[in-house]
Order: sequence, then C-alpha cells, then structure tokens
Amino acid sequence: MAHKQPLEQSDTEILLRADGISKGFPGVWEHLILDEIDFDVRAGEVHTLLGENGAGKTVLANILSGFYSSTGGKIFIRGEEVKLNSPQDGLEHGVGMIHQEVMLAKPFTVAENVALGTEDSDLSNPVSRVEREIIELSENYGLEVDPTVKVSDLSAGGRQRAEILKVLYHEPRVLILDEPTSLLTPQEADHLFEVLRSMADDGFGIVFITHKMEEVMEVSDRVTVLKLGKVMGQKMITETDEEELTEMMLDEKIPIHLEREEFEERNVALSLNDVQVTGPRGNVQVDGVSLDVKEGEILGIAGVSGNGQSELIEAITGLRAIDMGMLTIQGEDMTNPSTRAVQDQGVAHMPEKRREIGVVEQMTVGENVVLRNYRDPPFSRYSVLDRQAITDHAQKIIDEFNVICPDIWKSETRILSGGNIQRLILGRESWNNPPIIIASHPTHGLDRRAVSNTWELFITLRDKGSAILLVSEDLDEILSLSDRIAVMFKGNIVGIVDADSADKNEIGMMMTGA
Amino acid sequence: MMKQIYTRLKPIITSVLAGLVGLAGGAIIMALWGYPPIAAYQAVFSSVFGSLYGFGSTLAQATPLILTGLTFAIGVRGGLFNIGAEGQMFLGAIGAVAVSLISLPVGLHLIVALLAGMLAGALWSMPASILKTTRGIHEVISTIMLNWIALYLGMYLVIDWLGDPGRAEKSISAAPTARLPGMLSGTSLTYALVVSVIFALIMFFLVWKTTLGFELRVVGQNPGAANYAGINENFSVHSTFILGGMAAGLAGALQIVGHPPTFALYADFSTVRNLGFDGIGVALIGRNHPIGVIFAAIFFAGLNVGARTMQITAGVPLEMVRIIQGVIVIALAAPELLDFWSKLIPGIRNWIGELKGSS
Amino acid sequence: MEILTSFLKIFIISLNAMVPITLAAVGEIIGERAGVIDIGLEGILLISAFVGTIGAQSTGSPYVGLLFGIMVGLVIGIIHGLISVYLKGDQVISGVGINLFGGGLMAFGLIAVWRTPGHHVVPSAVRMPKIATPFGGISYITILTLLIVAGVYYLLTRTKLGLKINVTGEHPRAADVAGVNVEKIRFFATVTGAALAGFGGAFMAVDWFGVLTKELAAGRGFIALATVVFSKLNPLLALLGGFIFGFFDSLGVWVSSAPSIKQVIPWQFILMIPYVVTLLVVAGAIGRARFPDKLGEPYRRE
Repeated sequence: MAHKQPLEQSDTEILLRADGISKGFPGVWEHLILDEIDFDVRAGEVHTLLGENGAGKTVLANILSGFYSSTGGKIFIRGEEVKLNSPQDGLEHGVGMIHQEVMLAKPFTVAENVALGTEDSDLSNPVSRVEREIIELSENYGLEVDPTVKVSDLSAGGRQRAEILKVLYHEPRVLILDEPTSLLTPQEADHLFEVLRSMADDGFGIVFITHKMEEVMEVSDRVTVLKLGKVMGQKMITETDEEELTEMMLDEKIPIHLEREEFEERNVALSLNDVQVTGPRGNVQVDGVSLDVKEGEILGIAGVSGNGQSELIEAITGLRAIDMGMLTIQGEDMTNPSTRAVQDQGVAHMPEKRREIGVVEQMTVGENVVLRNYRDPPFSRYSVLDRQAITDHAQKIIDEFNVICPDIWKSETRILSGGNIQRLILGRESWNNPPIIIASHPTHGLDRRAVSNTWELFITLRDKGSAILLVSEDLDEILSLSDRIAVMFKGNIVGIVDADSADKNEIGMMMTGA
Repeated sequence: MMKQIYTRLKPIITSVLAGLVGLAGGAIIMALWGYPPIAAYQAVFSSVFGSLYGFGSTLAQATPLILTGLTFAIGVRGGLFNIGAEGQMFLGAIGAVAVSLISLPVGLHLIVALLAGMLAGALWSMPASILKTTRGIHEVISTIMLNWIALYLGMYLVIDWLGDPGRAEKSISAAPTARLPGMLSGTSLTYALVVSVIFALIMFFLVWKTTLGFELRVVGQNPGAANYAGINENFSVHSTFILGGMAAGLAGALQIVGHPPTFALYADFSTVRNLGFDGIGVALIGRNHPIGVIFAAIFFAGLNVGARTMQITAGVPLEMVRIIQGVIVIALAAPELLDFWSKLIPGIRNWIGELKGSS
Repeated sequence: MEILTSFLKIFIISLNAMVPITLAAVGEIIGERAGVIDIGLEGILLISAFVGTIGAQSTGSPYVGLLFGIMVGLVIGIIHGLISVYLKGDQVISGVGINLFGGGLMAFGLIAVWRTPGHHVVPSAVRMPKIATPFGGISYITILTLLIVAGVYYLLTRTKLGLKINVTGEHPRAADVAGVNVEKIRFFATVTGAALAGFGGAFMAVDWFGVLTKELAAGRGFIALATVVFSKLNPLLALLGGFIFGFFDSLGVWVSSAPSIKQVIPWQFILMIPYVVTLLVVAGAIGRARFPDKLGEPYRRE
C-alpha cells in the first residue's frame, strides 16, 4: 500500500499529547504498569503503538480515552490540559476508543448500541433516526454496516465496523484502536487499513495498537515502541525497519541456553494429535495442533498471548473441551478428561490465572498448599485433614521457595503479592517431581533472582525425567529453558525448532506472523 | 503486628458494630412510637442476666438458633443461600414426633427421634439442591416455597396423623422414653443445649477439618479454583444442603424432645416458627462460623427472652426484636458502611485509618 | 350456571390477587434488567401495607394511603440502591435484611399502633372504592396495574431509557463506554422497582384485603420473584404470571367456603397450591431464563 507523502512534523496540529503518564496498581505488581510515558498524535497521521503483551499499550490507551485514571502525568488535547474521568469525558473532548474486547451489547442491534450515547431525551425513541444516521456515516467512511442487525449476528468484521461507527457518531478527532485486527480476516483487515488511511487523510489522528509487525509496516506513519511500561523509542516508519523494531520490542540481552543433561532415547509423555479447541467466545482458538512432549524435555511454546495458548493449556488440563483430535497422556487416551483424572495421571499444572484459579484467595496459605492434593496421605487420612502434616509441608515449601507470608494459618492468601503466590504454586506443583508439568507463564511478575531460581528448578526437574510444557511470553525464558521451541500463531504451530540453534529474532518474527 | 490484630478482629468488630447499629435502629423506631428505648434495653439486659430463669430461658432459646444459624452459615460457606431452615425444621419436628408413634427403649428412642429429625430435615433440603444443580434455580426462591409447603403439610400431619386425641390443635407428645432431661431446674433448659452445641462442634470439625468440608468451602469461595483442583461441584452443593438440612431438622427435633412441659408440636407450629429465619441473622452476626454462631445465637436468644420482659416493663412489643434483626442484617450487607462508622468513633478513627493506609 | 358463577367469582378475585404480585414483579423486572437484584420484595409489601394504612387512617383518604405506600417503597429502594450500587455491597443480604425488618415492623406496628397482636381491620371508610359487578368488586387499581404493565413494557422496549437499562444489566462496560452513567441508571431502576412493590403492598391494605396481619404477604414477595423468572423479564408475561398465581391464590379463598371440596381435599393442601405451582413453574421454566449477564454484580471500571 502506497503511503502519501508524510506531512512535515511541524506542519500539523498535535491533537492529543500525553506528558509523563504513569500508572501504578496498588499492592500487587512489583513495577509500575506505565512509567512516565510521553506520547502524542498529530492530525493526519497514523501513529502505531507497538509492543508485546504486558507492555502497557492497552492501559495507556484506556488512560488516553478516559476509561482509566492515571496516577501521574498530564493529558493535553489540542493544547489544553484536560482531566478525563470517564469515557464520556474522552468522547466529549474528541477522543474515541475502540477496545480490543467488543464493547457492544450483543443482544441489541447496532443502532440501539449507538443510540445509548445520543443526546436525546430518555423517553424518546431515537433508534430509527439513529439508524438513518448510521447509514449515512457508513457511506461516508466506507464502513458497511446494517444498523438494524443484532450485534450477535454480525461477523467479527461487522462488529468492528459497528464499534468504529459508534465512536465516529460522536465526531472525535482522535481515534484509538486497540489490536483491531485480532479477529479479522486478512481481507477485512486490509479494508480496515484503507479506511484508516483515508480517515487520516481527512485530518483524523489515529492511534493504532498492535503487536503484529506486518501491520506496523503497512499502516503507520510513526511508531512508538513500548516495553514493560516504558517508551523504548519513537521513529518515523520510513526511518526504520522490521528488524530494528523487533529488537526494540524485545530484550537486548542475549539469553543463555542453560546447561542440562543429555538424554538418548526418551518416551513421549504427552501427545496432542490434530487437536481443535473452541474458545469462550465461540471461535476456534486451537486449530489442529499436534505436539509431543518427551520425558526429560522442556518444550516451550512461544507466542504472543491470545494466539490459542491458553485454550491449549486448558484443553490439556481438563478445563476446556477438545472438539476434535486426541490427547494422550502417559500412553493413555485422555481426550476430554476431568481435571482430577488428568492430575491422577501425573500432570501438575501451574496455571496462568494464578490468582483467579491457582489459589483460593480467601483461604489460608496452608489450605492453598494442599489445594490439589488434599485427598492424598499424609495430608488427610480417612477424610480427616492432618493439620500438622499440612503445616510441615507448607513450611518446607515456604522455606525452599522463599514464599513471604506472615502466617500459614492466620491470614488470607489474598494479601500475598503475585510473585509470592506464584512461588507458592511453583512449590506446590513441583514438589513430588511430577512426571508431567504444564507451566503457564511461571515467572510472570517474579524478580530476577526468583526467575533464575525457577529456571534452575525446571532444569532440575527436567533432568530428573519430567516432561515440561512451558508457555511464556518471555522469549528469553523460552530460549533459556527449552529443548525445543514451538511457535504458536493464530491457533497453529507455525514452527518447531531446536532451542540451541534458534535465532531470537527469527522466532520473534514467527511470533508476530512476519 | 497491629495490622494482623486488626485483620483478625475485623469480623468481630463488624459484627459488634452491626449489632449496635441494629440496637440504634430499634431505638429510633421505638422512640417514633413513644416507647422508651433506654428503659426497654435495660429491661432486656436485666431479665437475661438478672435471674436464673431468664438466663436459663436464654440458653434454651439459643439451642435451636444455633442450629438454624448453622444451616445458613454452612450454606454460605458452600456458596449458597439456604434460607429453608424454617421448612426443614418443621419436618424435623414432625419426624421426631412421629417416632413417638412406636415404642422403643429409653435412650434409643431419643436417639432415633433425633436421627429422624435430622433425616427429615436433610430430605426436605434435597428438592432445592436438585433444582439448583440440574436447572440452576436460585435457592432463594425454591427454599422459601418449600418453607410454605412444609408449613401446610406439617399442619395437616399434626392434625390428621399425629394429633393428640385428648387435645385438639396439638400433636401427641413425645414419649417419655424420647425426652431429654432438664439441665437447670427452675428453667425450661434441657440437655438439648448440649446436643446443639455438640452438633455445632461436629459441624465445625466437618467443615474445617475434613476433606468434605474443604471441598465444600473451595466450591463456595471459588468454583473456578475448585474445578482446577479437581473437585466435583455438584457433590459439594448437595453436601452443603444436606448438612444444613440436618442441622435444621435437628433443631426441630430438639424443640420436641427437649421442650418441656408439653414436648409436643402445635398445629400452628408456634414453638418452631420463625426460628428458621432468626437463624439467618444469627449466622450473619456470627460471621458464618460455628463458634460465632453460638455466641450470636445467645445474643439473639437474649434479645428474644428479654423482649418479653421488655414488653411487660416498658410496654414495647416484643416484635421489636425482628426489627432490630432486620437492621443488623442490612448493616451487614454493606461492610464498607461499617468501616465508615468505625472511623467515626473517636480515638479509634485515626488508628484504623492508619492501619488501612499501611495495608 | 353454578359453575359459571363460581368461575366468574374466582376470576374476579384473581384479578385483584394478581395486583401485588404483578406490581412487585414488574418493578423487580426493571431492577433486574439493570442488573440489580432485590429479594426484599416481601418486606417491602409488609412495610408499605403498614405505612400505607397509617397514612390512610390518619388522613382519612385511601389515596393518601397508596401514596404513602409508594413513598416508603421509594425509601427502601434508596437504601437498597445505596447498598447495592454505590457501596457495592451484597444485594441478596440486603434483601434478606429488608424482609426481616418488614416482618418485624408489621408485627410490632400492629401492637404499637392498634394494640392488636393478630389482625387489624382497615376501616371501610378508608378503603378504596371498587367497581361493582354481580360477581364481586374489581378494584380500580387492577385497571391501573394493566396500564402500568403496558407503560413499563413500552418504556423497556421502545425508549432510550429502557435501552440504557437493558444494556446496563447486560454489558455495563459497553454502556459505560457508550456514555451511560451505569450507577445512576441502576439506582434509578432499583428505586422505581421498590416503589412499585410499595404500591402493591399498600394496595393489599387499603384496597384488596383490607386487613393487616403478620402474614399479609404470605410469600407473595417470593412468588413475585418466581414470576420474574417465569416472565423472562418481560412485563407482559409478568402480568400473565401474576394472574396465574393470583388464580391459585384465590382458589384457596374460594375453596375454604365450599364445603364439598373440603371433604375431599384437606384445606392445608389447597393452601399449598400456590407454592407448589411456583416451584413447578420455576423448575420447568421452558429453557433457562435469560437473565442479564451481569445481574447481581456490582460494576467496577478497573
């Protein structure tokens, strides 16, 4: 797609400027979500925010549109400082956001959704008028949508066009789109880019958020790379290329492939055969995946979150149904088992949602330590829990894994930091050298020392013969730990490589579909 | 350290505050109709703590409340709103009375009566449990309907099947071989209290010290984690209902076998009505914990018993107690509101504010 | 001819019996569509019946009584709304508390105001007039109820406010992002719903029953909740449901005066019928009722 001659920077008006924006969430995280971000959007440009998941792109966007509040920094709209306290404020000041998740109420029509935000009286029925206005808008912008259709009946592309129209209805000058192509077909995505381009030409300022490299190159005028809440760099698209951007996005460090034992013949512990899994929103998230994990091996699944990894893990551990294909664990067909059956088969699971399901936050540490194996001796005998045995076990885990908690039995696990909860889970799940370990983002939120301790632990377990399936967004982790690396993109495994011969940037590009 | 003390005491502080709010609310209503609140509360206090009879009656009244409180409390622990203690209790009472239709040796007769009560209560909780697990029906609706059905069914059974030939509107009395001995002469207190407390302790043990209870609590607090942990959710739901039904059924049975002088059930169910609903307030104030429930039951029983004196001395209708209960429960619905109140108490205000800031 | 007369008599009674259930149910529908659950309907019925009677008797006008009932319903709605929407408290517990309070207030009030522990007959002077028919009197409120149901239906399906309410319950985030003040809408819906229930309670006192007892509500608040389930949040179906339950309700009244039936079926079983029917209806509700996705969950942005 040809770009028009990019306008000179000094010529165009700055529509939106963020100055030193910071955001911290109290208590849990160990670093600021956003750390003094400077960002601006000019009229007539498409400014892309690029970064991996967890970089803070969505949080920044939410702050710029008024959905979240910032804990520091200022926002200027066309030169004037503003305080945005709600999405309505954002819209009133001309900033509209299209969120990654659908923000349309599904059982209602497009027009009804848009009518929510009109200025009409509550007792009127503006829906028919809104329908006409939407048709007009859709013609003006080339976004085809039938306003009388229920949102639930629209395709993903249609839903998105409807969302955009809903925002356009309020005549914003700045449009923020958060990962807009995640559910679109390539043709729909191309069409979207055309529309955005023409809107920019009409004087809009477009903020485009993505983690996909191909889109960045295609649609942007300027790129800002965000990593771990900090701005890594800002470039005009004509002055940079994919490799440079990828490097900025990821860590500069060269990861060390950790020392490990060599094995000759190993059995396959876990095997997936052409497995298909449907996600919570009804679309296929795992699209025919075949994988083997051998004993004494770490298989790392690299990929940006949202490409089916969560659903894959859920399917293996019995938390989600497998629609097609077969799952074999330790030689037995375990397609669609109960979670308990999977556990009894020797599978330990360190879940991604550690606070939501990995522990019961309202319960004590002691209880959470035996959350999965409370039925086994010595923790219970004839159905009676043995508190002393549990205490001893908990103490061992706390000592060895450095879990900082005030008291095993007196306080709720909720007060532990995320990192400590993860250490607890790590200790709990790995304690008995389980034959198979499913680890999903195991070091997310841990400090450097804990991360390297965890890596050592995984290598030790692997050397003892465990088969480990590792999912992580931290490419360094994947490269350091894995024996083999499978890259997952849009529900498929796009490649399996040996870790010691892998090139970080090559994998990075596979992850972004480049 | 201070933070730990505050965290541990917080539930108790909340309950105490809620109790105070309730008493205050009651005082306002009393004043609105020209009753003297201070005199009223004084009468309550003096009657409960002033005489052996008052004290004994309080404990006697507390006996069923401990159990119906448990019904609701166990329900909450299991993630459910079991407000069916009324109906489950009625059937428990019927079960206990029915046992007196046959003849059994002393001791055994009593045990069978109590077991029959528990069984009846547990069975009456099952329809709600099944509706919940199979059709997702919220137990608030189903248990209330079952309460009303149980009332009318019970009335019918009392008059037509279990009626005392000598006295109308009353069932047969529990056979002498099926009665509990008195515990405090001069009062109506029997060893029913002991049975009740023992049951509460057993429930405490079950819910907090066994695998069954563990599963129940995990399901109640985090069904997602329960799934992850391999727990069968439906089984735990049924367990929760059954344990609650047993508690209420036992309460009903005790109101028969432990209730001098008649040891019988009346057609208007006067000795068992409302105890089930009282249990809800008891459980909430007792923070849904068996030990707390015992204390809360005594508190409520004291209010109920003292209310009679209050009625005589200060002229305040004893139904005021239900009003106080209602205000307490509403206050407990919004704990943040109580945090707000606690900040107002001079002296404590800064201390608590500091703790909240540092946590 | 006998049968026809009896049938019409029952029909008329049912029309009146339907009112409190339908009003409470329709009010609850508004609240639940916005995402707030109020199980304190039973309590509201009792409190508003009590306060309504006081209002009517002290001013001599049944209309004032009705007004008092509506207002006290409003007040309770405000309390429940504050707890549920702004304080993000537990909606079900709040409802339970309201029920307890209502029960206590009625029992207390009977003695405190009229010195009677059992029942208090509302003087006919302050009772609402009825439209006389050969088969019984139809209350004007019954007709008003039909209008209210139609009005609420129109509001919920054809106005912007109704749209806001619906989306707030279903997808509060979408509403928020679209510019709707989620908390205000939910609060408004809760208060309105409670006011309607209050209307129903006052109706029972100064119009239909004309007698205050501790058992006045007799579970009707919960039957209204069941009606809401049955109606799948459609006010028109709530009207139908209210009528059906009203019918079974009135059966009890009618049968107790018909000796022939009494010999065959014990009266206790007749009285049980409304509750059994409710249970069966709720159990068999065709397909799972489609409730708003976020019903009962306080809304938080972050």
